[in-house]
Amino acid sequence: MPTTRPSSRLPAVAALAALLVIAGCARKGGCTGDYCGTLVIAGAGEPDILLPPVTSFSPSRDVIEQVFLKLADLGPSGNTIGDEDFQPQLAERWEWDTPTTLVFHLDPRAHWQDGRAVTAADVAFTYDIYTDSLVNSPVRPTLRQIAAVTTRDSLTVVFRFRQRYPEMFYDAVYHMRIMPSHLLREVPRSQWRTAAFGRAPVGDGPYRFVAWRAGESLELAADSTFFLGRPHLRRLIWRFTPDQQIAVTQLIAGDADAVEVLITPDNRDRARADTQLAIYPYKGVAYGYLWFNFAAPGDTTQPHPLFGDRELRRALAMTVDRGGLLRNVFGDMAKVPPGPMSQIFSIWDPETRELPHDSARAARTLTRLGWTDSDGDGIRDRDGHPLAFRLLVPTTSAPRRQYARLLQEQFRAMGVDVQLDEVDFSVFNERAHAGRFDAMLNTVNTDPTPSSGVPQSWTRAGFGGLNYGRYENPAFERLVDRAVTSVAGRDEAKRTWRAAIEILNQDAPAIFLFATENAAAVHRRVADVRIRPDSWLALVRTWRIPADRLTDRDRVER
Amino acid sequence: MAAWLVRRLAASIAIVWAVVTLTFIVVHLAHGSPCGQPDGLPVSPAICADLTRRFGLDKPISTQYYKYLGALLHGDLGWSFALRRPVAAALAEALPNTFTLALTSLILDFALGIALGVYQAARERRFGDIALGNVALFVNSMPTFWLGLVLLLVFGQRLGWFPVGGLRDLVLCPRVNSLPCVADFAWHLTLPALTLGLVGAAATARYQRAAMLEVVRQDFVRTARAKGLRERRVLLVHALRNALLPLITLFGLTFPFLLTGAVLVEWVFAWPGMGRLAVTAILERDYPIVTAAALVASVMVVLGNLLADALYGVADPRIRVRST
Repeated sequence: MPTTRPSSRLPAVAALAALLVIAGCARKGGCTGDYCGTLVIAGAGEPDILLPPVTSFSPSRDVIEQVFLKLADLGPSGNTIGDEDFQPQLAERWEWDTPTTLVFHLDPRAHWQDGRAVTAADVAFTYDIYTDSLVNSPVRPTLRQIAAVTTRDSLTVVFRFRQRYPEMFYDAVYHMRIMPSHLLREVPRSQWRTAAFGRAPVGDGPYRFVAWRAGESLELAADSTFFLGRPHLRRLIWRFTPDQQIAVTQLIAGDADAVEVLITPDNRDRARADTQLAIYPYKGVAYGYLWFNFAAPGDTTQPHPLFGDRELRRALAMTVDRGGLLRNVFGDMAKVPPGPMSQIFSIWDPETRELPHDSARAARTLTRLGWTDSDGDGIRDRDGHPLAFRLLVPTTSAPRRQYARLLQEQFRAMGVDVQLDEVDFSVFNERAHAGRFDAMLNTVNTDPTPSSGVPQSWTRAGFGGLNYGRYENPAFERLVDRAVTSVAGRDEAKRTWRAAIEILNQDAPAIFLFATENAAAVHRRVADVRIRPDSWLALVRTWRIPADRLTDRDRVER
Repeated sequence: MAAWLVRRLAASIAIVWAVVTLTFIVVHLAHGSPCGQPDGLPVSPAICADLTRRFGLDKPISTQYYKYLGALLHGDLGWSFALRRPVAAALAEALPNTFTLALTSLILDFALGIALGVYQAARERRFGDIALGNVALFVNSMPTFWLGLVLLLVFGQRLGWFPVGGLRDLVLCPRVNSLPCVADFAWHLTLPALTLGLVGAAATARYQRAAMLEVVRQDFVRTARAKGLRERRVLLVHALRNALLPLITLFGLTFPFLLTGAVLVEWVFAWPGMGRLAVTAILERDYPIVTAAALVASVMVVLGNLLADALYGVADPRIRVRST
């Protein structure tokens, strides 16, 4: 029997050892002090383009936030009414010439990363781009109250509004990131969605673009001359992963320093068990709900055979134990919303009147409506038709799939037969747009204010748009309109919103199931971590790694 | 030979065209629209309609098909809806990563598989043969993504010997331009290549063992032994070359299989290759990328087969390709 002498294995073992040693050797760098850190952020999803007017995709937004500035941004309170809680960015100050004329004075220190100054012409150009139908920006509808943007001089820009309303300032500053007109003027408007600039942008923010390796990573470097203060973290690197689970695995393995959301209690427990990681809870911007279609599937001219009946919808809503479902799927990482709202809305009020979970009352209502189990098969029926509907669910969302199964079981116990249509997201999206569903499990990511999202999803203004369920109630719409336009003050607006939401809740156009509570995980060596709920990396330029916590990787020069 | 080559090339082009056409039709007939955002949030119908018009998706499928074929003949693979860039550029970045992974796995697959097969054949029905045979069967029956997850959790996350994903250390090695960075790249490549290579090696070993056993019973091997040659020389020089013949076919088919099999491994290890690109494109209904990925895969299969046929002739002089 042939044998292998130990010496013949030596070269292979030595080569492997050398490989590992070389791979393990970090190049010791020389950076010391307060501006040396590198933050590797792992996350599912890769930006589509880094051109703010043509994308609303959240991975793009996270990067764009560091490269392009707004005129002013939300303050820590998150208040969107008035202008007192906003913080200056490109505009060092502003004043109201008239109740509908807002004048911004740009900070003369602001400059593009190619050295050119940021001017009022850039602001006017940006407004022109965002409102151009050829560019068709996703935020174009939110700018409809702005009549014009003009320049007074190179550093003064004037916004004129069509009418006075509480969130004028928010609309003027929150949606638009100022673009460099000298670099983008020549790009044809119809080609903005594919402009080369969007893959190698030049901005005016705290970080400048370095590299984008498709499918792998994106890197930004701090602009040491940034006029609002040099960012402490020298480099930001996004590592793209196929899904969030893999991102969390990379974080725990030490291949990344931060993830935006841990999503499940299981992931949070994994992160908690790692002593190198700190967890930062913050309010989520998403809410999810079961949406009843008021129109017949695929035919908006006919009412839905079941869900046109308000009493039936209310009975179905009272059937569902929302708290129990939520604990099952999210643990303590979400809350039951008191209406169509995420936790960041200022109108979030647990005292808002809702339909209770009351299965006995639900059963009585269904029986009163004629839905009884006449043939003993466990499913209620009326005039020979079973009480049954199909629930549209995207396969791409694990929480929604879990919800669908639990809902199916709760409805079955009430004698309601629910069949699941689990489809991939593009099919889900197509069927939602076309109204080809009985009910669907939808999730919405919201702006910081209900003023834009609620009318789009729950009023006639959203017909043909995002109001897939085609819910309408003139009384609700009047109150929403009053809440959005009234200048009577913040408290009055809040009261009006609550009254509107209570009307909607009593109509039960949907069953509001969850509003997420997020938890980011960041390596403990990073200090001063503050997270703004509407955009978790909005304040990253103030995060820092103290000199005594720097690792070799933070110090390395390349 | 030239006529044979021309015939094979013509057949290959026809196969590739058929695959592209079928993929184009199937992907366009599938439900769904390319308007969805990858994060699963709704997109305004106005923007969806705008995208559909701009990319010509409102035209009849036959018009889109002829336009696509015309562009393809000019080397234009089109624009990706989701990536908002030319398909060729996206493929050019992803393909080298997939090739590297597939090629490394292929080398591992055949080096290990042939060595094990020979070893087993030399010890037929003895403990080593039986034990290795069972291990090979066990490994071969594992789904690659499951083996990948196990390797990742054990050697990546728990033991920390290898990175849990990615192509390189993004902080220390943004580019592979130095010896430490080459080593770092190899370090990142190890687990995904092992995942693909081990499963393949298990199958290769079984083929190789069977082929060797068939060859060692032939007269020329008996003659070699009778001449007094050492057993190692008989096996490695005389028997092995003849036993490699069936493996050449396997070799030709394995490379494209590894390319396509890399899809799940790329997903598990966050390896930015063509497989991951294609899966994401399918989920997003990014038709141009899906069709281009099918094109590349079919070209690989056809080339693999051509290569196998060519190598067959080289390895076995008895095989002569007739030109008529």
